[in-house]
Amino acid sequence: MSDKTILEARHLDKYFYEPVKFHVLKDINITVEEGEFVSIVGSSGSGKSTLLYTLSSLDTDYDGKVIIDRIALDSLDSNQLARLRNRAIGFIFQSHYLLKDFTAIGNVMLPGLKLGTLSKEDLRKAALDKMDLLGIRDQADKAINTLSGGQQQRVAIARALINNPKIIFCDEPTGNLDSKNARIVFDLLKELAHGLKQTIVMVTHDESYKTDRQIRLHDGAVIS
Amino acid sequence: MRDSPLFKIVWAHLTGRKRQTLVSVLGVMFGITVFIFQAGMITGLQNYFIEKTINSTPHIQISNETNASEIPIAAKAYKAKDKIWFSIRNQKDREDLGKIKNGIQIASELEKHPAVYGVSPSLTTQAIFKLGVVDVSAIIYGVNIRSENRLFNLEKDIVQGSVIRLETVNNGLILGSGLAGKLGAALNDNLTIVSPKGVTLTMKVVGIISTGLRDLDNQRAYASLRNAQKLMKVQSSYITDISIKLYDIDKAPALADEFENRFGYRAEDWKERNASIFSVFKIQNIVTYMVILSIMLVSGFGIFNILTMMIYEKMTDIAILKAIGYTDKDIRLIFLSEALLIGFAGGILGLMLGFVISFIAANIPFKIEGFVTSERLNVNFDPLFYAIAFFFGLLTTAIAGLLPARKAARVDPLRIIRSQ
Repeated sequence: MSDKTILEARHLDKYFYEPVKFHVLKDINITVEEGEFVSIVGSSGSGKSTLLYTLSSLDTDYDGKVIIDRIALDSLDSNQLARLRNRAIGFIFQSHYLLKDFTAIGNVMLPGLKLGTLSKEDLRKAALDKMDLLGIRDQADKAINTLSGGQQQRVAIARALINNPKIIFCDEPTGNLDSKNARIVFDLLKELAHGLKQTIVMVTHDESYKTDRQIRLHDGAVIS
Repeated sequence: MRDSPLFKIVWAHLTGRKRQTLVSVLGVMFGITVFIFQAGMITGLQNYFIEKTINSTPHIQISNETNASEIPIAAKAYKAKDKIWFSIRNQKDREDLGKIKNGIQIASELEKHPAVYGVSPSLTTQAIFKLGVVDVSAIIYGVNIRSENRLFNLEKDIVQGSVIRLETVNNGLILGSGLAGKLGAALNDNLTIVSPKGVTLTMKVVGIISTGLRDLDNQRAYASLRNAQKLMKVQSSYITDISIKLYDIDKAPALADEFENRFGYRAEDWKERNASIFSVFKIQNIVTYMVILSIMLVSGFGIFNILTMMIYEKMTDIAILKAIGYTDKDIRLIFLSEALLIGFAGGILGLMLGFVISFIAANIPFKIEGFVTSERLNVNFDPLFYAIAFFFGLLTTAIAGLLPARKAARVDPLRIIRSQ
């Protein structure tokens, strides 16, 4: 484990018990270094999404060890995990999962308000900067349902970025978008990884997305 | 507070479903309004009655309770084996019936007691009141009008004539307003009074009194102690009752016991004398609180329902909030705050509406003829009620919000996100 390791999984095993006992993840060992853009690929049912949620602290039911930013996840309770996610982890899902009760910038600011390190004005400025970076600054004060699918997903990316996380986990971030928007979103992620040295772990079934490294999963085991 | 993201979420939830929020606020409001109004009315009436009772009746009354069903004296002279039967009904001592021996001395003794505000000895007797062709049976209270007035402030309740004329006019009589009505008697009319002892006296109406306590007004007439004794054909030391007022009414039960033991006569405090009415009050209060409780329960269920629906609707919001770092506690706080805000708003509105309705009710002329007579509803505006109602409203909403809030806090973000 080098100094630059941000995420590490050691001997990760996971079972599903419903409807029958099923070995989903089989002895998985992964390290991701700071600034890396890694994709997890594999056919549907290979366990790639399960692996992502296990690595990202949302799923705590596994054997083995997951270490993020030198902290072993199994040493934290649910409140500490929530705080870790708030501080160090960004999420981008297939759906944007934006809160309709808030404007675009309101959504972007939500994790920042919880973190509470910036004043409201500074946070708003930071949110605008992130949105500028993603080309949606002019959409800041609009309601979520007035935005296009691509714009909504970019707001979600801005939300993932707002607390300058150590690592961003993406689960099929382009899955709900048309090919043009999907390309825009993927290029933005690549830009974040290469331009800003943002660590990103992305699950995708589309192997045409060229990332720094591909982790290929088959039947719950890493094959390359 | 307004800047907190949690508050913004709470606010967005509540304003996002305006009609439902309004309905649940109205539910709480209605409950609190009923609470304020009903409790205010019931206790207002009760307090009015108690106040009237305290003002118009003695705190402690000493009397010689005659018990006609005592074992006949003759029975003491025989034993069962004597095989003799006898029949004596209602045995009584002719001279001493109802008399408090040394009553005047006892009264002056009581006057010296530090807890006693005043004492008024009296002689009570039944009598027939005649005016023209009407005759009515009523009770004559022979009193020393000065002591009696000091104790019960009769002057305040006099509607015609005056209290002091009972002393200045020979054979004066003050009639209760109801009694005067039954007789058709007016001020300065001369009535013929016939006592059970067969004494007939012509007496002049020098005053008419209305205390607001129906029994008293319909049945009571005041005369001087001397005239009452004349009617009863007894000497000037003969009295049947001693009325006592205390400085502190709460000491009445304890002092009643003390006096009973000391003087050997029955001493009843005002609560004991009105026990039947207090038990009615108790039932009234139970019914009132049952009604209030069921209304609060219904509004509590309303809030529970709305929050539960809100949680289902906002399930993904809850999941994503947890994913981006909001803790279980934050989520619980959101839904609990929503319940409490509804309770707070409904509570404030309910207090205001309750006050307005009570205020209107208290100012509408409304004739009550029960055991008290009053010109309007006597509504209790005790701020303590308002505090209790408000607290009760918040408590109900908090309890109603607790379950949905816990449910929301337990939402597993993984399950929600993965299932979509």
